Amino acid sequence: METIDNISWEIREKIGILTLNSPPENYLARPAVLPLETLKRWTACEGLKGLLVYGAGKHFSGGGQPEHLFRMALSGENVGQDITAGKAVLEHLENLTIPVIAGIRGICFGGGLEIALACHIRFCAENALFAFPEVNHRILPGLAGTLRLTETTGFPRALTMILGGDMIDATEALEMKLVDQIVPKSELFDHAFGLLKKMTHDRPLSVIHGVMNAMHNARNLSREEAMKEETRIFCMLVREEIRRTHENQEP
Amino acid sequence: METVSFPTAYSTLTFHLTEGIGLLRLSTPPSNKMSPLFFREFDAVINQIKDAPLVKALVISGAGRHFSSGADLSLLMEEIIRNDKLQDGQMEQTIPESLVGNYQSFSALEALPIPVIAAIRGVCLGSALELALFSHFRFCSEEAVFGLPETTFNLIPGIGGMTHMLELSGKTVALEYILRGKTFDASEAQKIGLVDQLLPRHNLLPVAIDFAGKIPANYHPAKKGRYLKNYFKHDQT
Repeated sequence: METIDNISWEIREKIGILTLNSPPENYLARPAVLPLETLKRWTACEGLKGLLVYGAGKHFSGGGQPEHLFRMALSGENVGQDITAGKAVLEHLENLTIPVIAGIRGICFGGGLEIALACHIRFCAENALFAFPEVNHRILPGLAGTLRLTETTGFPRALTMILGGDMIDATEALEMKLVDQIVPKSELFDHAFGLLKKMTHDRPLSVIHGVMNAMHNARNLSREEAMKEETRIFCMLVREEIRRTHENQEP
Repeated sequence: METVSFPTAYSTLTFHLTEGIGLLRLSTPPSNKMSPLFFREFDAVINQIKDAPLVKALVISGAGRHFSSGADLSLLMEEIIRNDKLQDGQMEQTIPESLVGNYQSFSALEALPIPVIAAIRGVCLGSALELALFSHFRFCSEEAVFGLPETTFNLIPGIGGMTHMLELSGKTVALEYILRGKTFDASEAQKIGLVDQLLPRHNLLPVAIDFAGKIPANYHPAKKGRYLKNYFKHDQT
């Protein structure tokens, strides 16, 4: 296990586990979450088929600490640069071509919620609590959470949550589609890990990447272009499958 | 009752027009497998329907017990590499025009200004489910079986199935069902938003046709929910 900026990384059975690891609140060390190069290095590991983001201890993450941010700004550090770096980190997470699941127990605030929103699937325990409390400090969610929350829950709910700064519980989060499923706390890790395994274990990486790319295209490209890309990926996989069959036939 | 068939003879599908309702059937039973020829004929018939003002609604169904088991994979794979051989040693990988054409004819189906209803009995797998997903409404019988099993053959759904499933069922369900390639029954299909209405097998086609006939002339797919609500509140026994 390797830990950088309060975030730990390990791989179990081809599934990467990214643990927000500074209990009890698992506060983020900095607005940039962790260096992009670190995340890239971790996720580039050969044969990786899925990723689980989890919080150590009782909580997912309380996010960043605004005092840090203000202190950084006062001491002349370039906060904007750090925020931009954080955006790139979450974008990398979001665009990974393996499925990424967030398992959320306890608090999931601010930067923690930003990370969860960059994951492809969110499961939470009954005791999960979600908020973007940034407005209470007269700032806003800075890692594209305003965009991702709007995409996920629709404009009215996102606006209410971001401008109101109020906390919502697991049931509300499920109702507004901020999370995909509520799972008992004690089973959350196994459930999320198990789903990643079930989805990926007997699939070649090329198929996993193909499916994920097609899914991302649905978000990032026009419908027309996304469909064309899907056909291109399909043809590529067909060629690969034919090659594989030939190789197996040869003595 | 006057029934009109389009003059062109098709060998993999049939099309009949009765009182403004077109009934298109995939007809290579028992499995109604979608061959390259089917895709060409399907494209032709959609183009005919597009230009036929007499067709006020379209119902798509399978001949016999099943909707369709999907594309004929071996023929499809052959078609893709046949193209490669023509490349004569060049590594450039082209997309066969026919495959782009498949997507285009499904899109043309979706873009029809008339209601398009898929009436699904038996199996509806792979490209057949993709075809159903490009339809505006999906009714199915209670024993229907669905799935996008492509990944279990190390492939992906190639004609817009993922995009549609993502829109209808959300990311979690789409990812899980597609990556696992698992099949599911009618009630599950309804639960995840892929099917609008479950019907007893013997009622499926009559209800789909009756429903098609009751949709007002100023049809718009965005009002889908309203049409369903109005019809199934008042008309179903």
